[in-house]
Amino acid sequence: MATFTLNGDNVTVEAEPNAPLLWVVREHLGLTGTKFGCGAGQCGACTVHVDGASTYACLTPVSAVEGRQVTTIEGLSEDGTHPLQQAWIDEEVPQCGYCQPGQIMRAADLLANNPQPNREEIVTHMSTNICRCGTYTRIVRAIERAAEEAGNEA
Amino acid sequence: MKRNDTLTGQPMTGMSAASREAIASSGGSKASNESSGASGGLATRRDFIQGVGVTLTVGATGVIGACSMPSGDSDDPGAPASGPAANDAVTPNAWVSIGADDTITIQFGATEMGQGSMTSVPLVLAEEMDADWDNVRVETVSRHDPTYGNPMAFGYYGFPIMYTAGSAALRGYFNAMRQAGAQARRFLLDAAATQLGVPVEELSTQPSRVVHAASGQTLSYGQIAAAAEVPGSLPEVPESEYKPRSEYRYLGTDVPRIDVPAKVDGSAEYGIDVQIPGMVYASVLRAPVEGEEPMQVDDSAARAIPGVTDVVTLPYGVAVVGETVEGTIWGKNALQVTWSENSRFRDTDQARDLDEYEARARDLDFSTGNPLWQDVGDIDPAFRSADRVIEAVFRSEPAYHAQMEPLSATASVSADGLSAEVWVSTQTQSLTAMAAADLLETDVDRITVHAMYIGGGYGRRAEYRQKDVEDALLLSRELGRPVKVIWSREDDVRDGIFRPLAAQYLRAALDADGQVTALHQRVATPSVLSFMNEPRWGLSRNRDGISMNGAQTTRYSIPNIRAEHVMVDRCSRLAAWRGVATSYTRFANESLIDEIAHTVGSDPLQFRLDLTRDDPAAQSVLEEVAQMADWSQPREGTSLGVALSDYGGASVSAGIAEVSVNQETGVITVHRYWMAIDAGFIVSPRNTEAQMEGNIVYGISSALKERISVNAGSVDQSNFHDYPVMRINEMPEIQTRALPSDSPPSGVGELGLATTGPAIANAVFAATGVRLRELPMTPERVLAALQEASA
Ligand code: FES
Ligand code: FES
Repeated sequence: MATFTLNGDNVTVEAEPNAPLLWVVREHLGLTGTKFGCGAGQCGACTVHVDGASTYACLTPVSAVEGRQVTTIEGLSEDGTHPLQQAWIDEEVPQCGYCQPGQIMRAADLLANNPQPNREEIVTHMSTNICRCGTYTRIVRAIERAAEEAGNEA
Repeated sequence: MKRNDTLTGQPMTGMSAASREAIASSGGSKASNESSGASGGLATRRDFIQGVGVTLTVGATGVIGACSMPSGDSDDPGAPASGPAANDAVTPNAWVSIGADDTITIQFGATEMGQGSMTSVPLVLAEEMDADWDNVRVETVSRHDPTYGNPMAFGYYGFPIMYTAGSAALRGYFNAMRQAGAQARRFLLDAAATQLGVPVEELSTQPSRVVHAASGQTLSYGQIAAAAEVPGSLPEVPESEYKPRSEYRYLGTDVPRIDVPAKVDGSAEYGIDVQIPGMVYASVLRAPVEGEEPMQVDDSAARAIPGVTDVVTLPYGVAVVGETVEGTIWGKNALQVTWSENSRFRDTDQARDLDEYEARARDLDFSTGNPLWQDVGDIDPAFRSADRVIEAVFRSEPAYHAQMEPLSATASVSADGLSAEVWVSTQTQSLTAMAAADLLETDVDRITVHAMYIGGGYGRRAEYRQKDVEDALLLSRELGRPVKVIWSREDDVRDGIFRPLAAQYLRAALDADGQVTALHQRVATPSVLSFMNEPRWGLSRNRDGISMNGAQTTRYSIPNIRAEHVMVDRCSRLAAWRGVATSYTRFANESLIDEIAHTVGSDPLQFRLDLTRDDPAAQSVLEEVAQMADWSQPREGTSLGVALSDYGGASVSAGIAEVSVNQETGVITVHRYWMAIDAGFIVSPRNTEAQMEGNIVYGISSALKERISVNAGSVDQSNFHDYPVMRINEMPEIQTRALPSDSPPSGVGELGLATTGPAIANAVFAATGVRLRELPMTPERVLAALQEASA
């Protein structure tokens, strides 16, 4: 049994302490936006935030998030309008789309800590996440766009 | 031998599956008899039954529903099938239904795997029909039905199948969509003329509206549909009456892809996301060597794991079934299995096997008796009288698709074992259904295939026998309940189906003026088609387009050409791969062309321009890409290489790579990549650019580092740590351009990938004077080639 906060709600799940957070979120709780890609911390498809920090859900036992705040792509914004999600639509980033929830969660962590990253910082930060469709050019553009628009508002 | 998958860990106690909501459900049944073709009869919406796969509504705010239940079918069995003022909806043909509420529903016969066809294909129909795209729903057809087959996939079976491959979705459906849309528009005009009591010649259309300019009256398509008299059948609209391109509202503009919003908020449903009431999970321990069987199974430890409910022995492995995914993975890793150890693949040794392929390719007297792949003129006299002959051998190792979504399928087989519903990311509803029917020994009409969003295809999900589907069907039949099987990444790699191992011998004859008089390409590689799709192979007259695609020379004016498939035994499982065979066939012939250019002292770009003198499209892309890259500008520390490649016949691309080579480490860095294409009329410019970028990334990634090796029957790689693919920090700068064209759309999903390998190798030659003739071009191989050259 594990109790934690998921996208702002308290949840209690009957799962083994060692059950990966990935499967708990996806299959026990039905939030399938978080993806399984490798199960080995190699691809970033499973990226969620634990207390605001990008975390591989595939390598995180559910016991490790006891009492902590977990955010998935479904909880990044109320209605899919996080500046990054909007930028992802405006730049038409996704192809197959399978890697994109993880990419967006990873990018959100970057902008939260570094609102105006330069290109090298973006590329370094995002190098944990694979996109086999090759949307990398647009990922960079979308992050730059979101950062720029946030900068304009500030 | 026991290799644990990742995601292990010791389970504790007391787990139970949380209840879960059903998010996809049944709904498919047979198409109405009336919906038998684009020019077939009419049916009201109540007869027009669609299954559920991916269904999307386009609206002002984008997507508002995905994978919904079918809706709108009248549940009043007494309602008249047609008649005035009584229709919920009418379906002028099999492709489109017009609702009284102005919703227009378009059937999509392909599947969406990132290429954007789910937008571009229905958009063609909407354009021709003059439908308001904001009120269009797109439904993915969820059964095998030749009505919705891709006309380009006709020849394989004698009827069109639904098969999303070969960059043929838009290309293949283009005319069918135009006809269906034109026919629907004609029907609406005629019905409106009757309803308004005016001559049809006085009517015109605006998006989803018929207008009578003289009187100012207008009717929405929904109003017309509600009151339409439904004739028995509709005539074909002649092509001369199609909308002229100058009047297009949508095609050729950047209409947003309809799948994108759901892909950024996490709601898009892929095969792996399906959850069905009452389902259980399964993980399958697969034989480590192809063709072997479990002999002895000790499942006591597996059964002791909480959540594990069953262990089922399959012909090719052992399945652990349970209430949680993690329980089945732990259970799988706890199995002790003895395998039969009698497979012929135990003899595989990739280095030796490739040497044997090479010996066969080089031996001009050796033939496997299958017909020549290409035979133009007569090469023999040309080689006998040649002033010079240039020859070379090219080798390439297997490559893996590495699609981001590992295989997964969910199946629910009926109690009698003769009907099934399958939920899966598939590139082909038809083959999935046909193979499922074969497996269950039932009729294909009894199989529903919910074609979900695909987390990357590239050929991984286009084979006849899809093993994830087979797992789920066998287990569901055995257990009498829905089963969802998820493959680990390790399963996906070790039980992968690969681009084949290949060795190629090429030679070119030159006359005294340095003109190429003959080209000969012998490709020693197994038959992919006979493995990935036996029924189609049976109909292919021993010509394997999956193994040989790209070995033909069609753009260069060379009078004598011969291309041969030296059909050798396979050493691994096989599949089509992105670009099919062009990544290795064009690596060979475009490297050789470069070699010839240097040998005769010609600039490699100018040499290609001379050779393409009879092919204006090829010349245009070469000239364009040369301009984009500023080809003749000398650079410091980097070098350029060029390559030309067509795909699927009409589409042609040229690419230029700018590289540097680290002579100490052997690492090749691609700094920039330029690509120009001619792919006919570009329906979706922004998406076309995305496809070009994707091809460049996939191509460079594989050319530089991707390699599968099979030794003693086992795949040596298992996950992204030992099968690395390109990451964002390795990206070159990319610039692409699609040339304007009035020809029909000719496909962009794989176009240009094949330029990457040879363009890089040619640039490396320009930089170092050393020819790289083996894929992938790893640092070790580069160092070895540099050392050999300096020795
Ligand atoms: S699935 Fe977690 S990093 Fe790949
Ligand atoms: S969009 Fe397909 S893997 Fe990234």
